[in-house]
Amino acid sequence: MSSFEYAQDDSESQGTVERAVSYLQDHWTEYALITPSIVFLAAVVLYPILETLRLAFYESPRTSTVEVFVGLQNFNEIFSDPFFYQLLWQTFRWVALAVTIKTLLGLLIAVHLNQDIKGRKFFRTAFLIPWGIPYAISAVIFRWIEQPQYGYLNAILLKLGLIDQQIGLLGDPSIAWLGAIAADIWIGTPFMAIIFLAGLQSIPEELYEAAAVDGAYRWVQFRYITIPQLKPVILIATLLSTIWTFVGFDVIWTMTRGGPLDSTATLVIWIYKTGFENGNLGMAAAYSSIGFAILLVFAILYLRIYMQGGEEI
Amino acid sequence: MSIKLSESRSSLQQVRIYGVLIIILGIMMFPFYTMISTTLKPAGEIFNSPAQVIPQNLNPSAYFQVWGETEVITWVMNSFIISISTVLLTLSLAIPAAYVCARKDFVGKRTFLLAVLVVQMFAPVILIVGLFDIIVTLDLMDSYLSVIIPSAAFTLPFNIWMLYGYFKTIPVELEEAARIDGASQFLILRKIVLPLTKPALVASITYTFLYAWNRLLFVLTFLTSSGKYNVPRGIFSMVGVLSVDWRMMLTVAVIGVIPLLLLFAFLEEYIVAGMTSGAVKD
Repeated sequence: MSSFEYAQDDSESQGTVERAVSYLQDHWTEYALITPSIVFLAAVVLYPILETLRLAFYESPRTSTVEVFVGLQNFNEIFSDPFFYQLLWQTFRWVALAVTIKTLLGLLIAVHLNQDIKGRKFFRTAFLIPWGIPYAISAVIFRWIEQPQYGYLNAILLKLGLIDQQIGLLGDPSIAWLGAIAADIWIGTPFMAIIFLAGLQSIPEELYEAAAVDGAYRWVQFRYITIPQLKPVILIATLLSTIWTFVGFDVIWTMTRGGPLDSTATLVIWIYKTGFENGNLGMAAAYSSIGFAILLVFAILYLRIYMQGGEEI
Repeated sequence: MSIKLSESRSSLQQVRIYGVLIIILGIMMFPFYTMISTTLKPAGEIFNSPAQVIPQNLNPSAYFQVWGETEVITWVMNSFIISISTVLLTLSLAIPAAYVCARKDFVGKRTFLLAVLVVQMFAPVILIVGLFDIIVTLDLMDSYLSVIIPSAAFTLPFNIWMLYGYFKTIPVELEEAARIDGASQFLILRKIVLPLTKPALVASITYTFLYAWNRLLFVLTFLTSSGKYNVPRGIFSMVGVLSVDWRMMLTVAVIGVIPLLLLFAFLEEYIVAGMTSGAVKD
């Protein structure tokens, strides 16, 4: 910013265009170095966004190149379909439950890892692994665990006497989403734990020492020191987790493809199913636009929190 | 919470902490146990019902069969091709951009960095219809590039921010000294700045590598011939609607996870540094 002001001061007598040209002459290397990134992101992210928004107003079968402009018809169809509201509810409950459990479990792990114990690094590495392996692999492992006849889950529950006959979690439309969410939580919890652990480590020790002198109990310490100090980290991690859970595709698609009876479908699953299984790209684009609008709200929230953090750019 | 306080803690407290950690670890490791123990059972014993959680007989034959019965080697090779190319592409774009943003002040820099941050929010699956259109238009369907290009684009924001933050911490005086000695800008970047940036570079490389290795969406949508599949797509292709060869599939899964476990064992510190860089400020 400041150099631009200097440039303006130097050339007050010149025209705007000339000033801009001379500024560019002085700073051409800077722009030359960021331009490839800008062009790349514009072509691979910005253009598909615009293309998706455009297609939302067209009827566009995947198998042909014919596109017919239909105005708001796709959106009318979506908003008058009762299933759309069912889909929003399914998406909401998926995100709400998964993020809540990931946050609580992550906090539990982080608090216990932030202790002076032997083997801390080992535990940290081990807890991280579920986050780092392919989602599709985690999903098939959970499918196998939950398999009704041969899966370990049923074998253990039977042995413990918790059930008296084998249950097929993923085959039952009323509970299949819980079977799928287990995998999502397993994958997402490590991120929360690691972020919270880093946050805990940045809390000044003096705060706890002062509290210890006051004879504060551990729960009081946790409630009145840890949680308030950790609040910014919890906020940003929960927001990121919400976004990632909302757009999570690989896990559900590999476990159930949204079934049975579309009971595990979320908005993004429905986008994919509409576009690539039913071959209706225009409708898929319309669903995408709705997802895009929801993401935009999250993005603005994220930016606001980020700017409040006082990060200097 | 702190080291000093914990010194005075009773050993009972220590036991409690270990107890909680070990229980959680046990639950988190259970899926791995399930995967590995299943692949080590003889073929017939997988279909005992109810399942034997502790295998009666161990038999590694699945690991000999898998090479002939599946395309696992091809899939692992493809995963390496896709991941390494993605790393090279995204870093060749991110390093110059991050470096110039950390060192210079110019009009539009702030907008550029914030725009990049927003891009990170827009998940690929929301844009998949538009992306599909472009890949078809560019005639890139069923080519590695159809996966490498979007993977690089969606990892670029993280890499620019990660490296930008790190470049800022390197004292500019080091570079000025070299410049006085007559070193070119490129030489300075290569010989002075990049070696000092090693932790951030390793974090960037690991993050990008994992992203490209792990994601199913692009491969599922853009690659059609099984000879080009990566590990997740290969696994996905083995999950039929009616029948699944669980033993073979889980064996492929174990093989696909091994390179990642090595990565974790050696680079855990860098991975953690990368994960926390965005969400925690020091």
